[in-house]
Amino acid sequence: MSTTAYLWSLIAVTAGVTLLLRAFPFLLFGSGAKTPPVIEYIGKVLSPAAIAMLAAYCFACYFRDRPLSAHYYGAAELIAAVVVIGLQLWKKNPLISILCGTAVYMFFVQKIG
Amino acid sequence: MSDRFVILKRAFIDSLPVLMGYSAMGFAAGVLLSAHSGIDFAGVWAFLTSATSISGALQFMLVDWIAKRTPLLDVALLTFCLNVRYAMYGFSLIDRFKGIGFWKKFYLIWSLTDETYALETECKIPEKKKNIRYCLLLAFFDHSYWMIGVTAGALAGKALPFSNKGIDFAMTALFLVILTDQCREKLNRLPALIGGGAAFVCCLIFGASKMLIPSMILMITIFLACRKILDPAKKEKNA
Repeated sequence: MSTTAYLWSLIAVTAGVTLLLRAFPFLLFGSGAKTPPVIEYIGKVLSPAAIAMLAAYCFACYFRDRPLSAHYYGAAELIAAVVVIGLQLWKKNPLISILCGTAVYMFFVQKIG
Repeated sequence: MSDRFVILKRAFIDSLPVLMGYSAMGFAAGVLLSAHSGIDFAGVWAFLTSATSISGALQFMLVDWIAKRTPLLDVALLTFCLNVRYAMYGFSLIDRFKGIGFWKKFYLIWSLTDETYALETECKIPEKKKNIRYCLLLAFFDHSYWMIGVTAGALAGKALPFSNKGIDFAMTALFLVILTDQCREKLNRLPALIGGGAAFVCCLIFGASKMLIPSMILMITIFLACRKILDPAKKEKNA
């Protein structure tokens, strides 16, 4: 597949799946049917679980892409993560948490690591 | 001042925090796309992808998928994992959106992000027509900020005067922020722990590159097996 064809299919897949997820409740209730309780339950618990999994995945990728000894054995990632979580608990402002955490991380990997 | 203008003004003012967030995050995602995906005309693709999916985490993941030419089936599954939370938002909006025109409803659903959803649920305008107009404007503003941020980032891309090494941590930070907010609610804590635990185990067994799909299967299996403990609706019934 050419790059252009791949990118168009990528857009179709990502936009399609995202739209279907967003429309899911409306599609179900449009016909007047009730959501099966098991679907509602899985949806509820899957949401935090999937995000936790993706966060774990990000860290796994950091350790896959470079030797364990780099960045002080993951101290850069750990400190930046603590900054993000701490700020979010304290200030409840996603932008501040993300910008500060990323800045701390960039500082570590560029100036120290 | 006419009613229309009042609503427009109110939607715009309410959207200002999102302007900060989306333009900054979008810019970072755009920079990454131009620097690490290895494609030409990153600006055009940045515009197209941000206009169609309007999803922060997805926009960051795209960079990796494009660089590695990730198979589309994997892309579909990962998109599902990333955005499954959106499927829950609509339940509280069904009554609000009942009886409005198809295309208006389509746009409101299509543009439903975390932030737009939060602002829409807070809107207390009692008259339905005005309420919907407010929601549409708000969705449009947020959508525009995101597209502009991502596209500008992709265009500025390699020309930035400082090194962007480490900027990819913005995506990790985004997940951590969503997770932190979700864990404020007690009911979400155990599921989050199960998700993180399943990911950890699968990472050890399958390695980072192949961990996501087994993790999903493992956690759904655990959820189905432990429904009695984890499902609050079921718990009440048994009690």
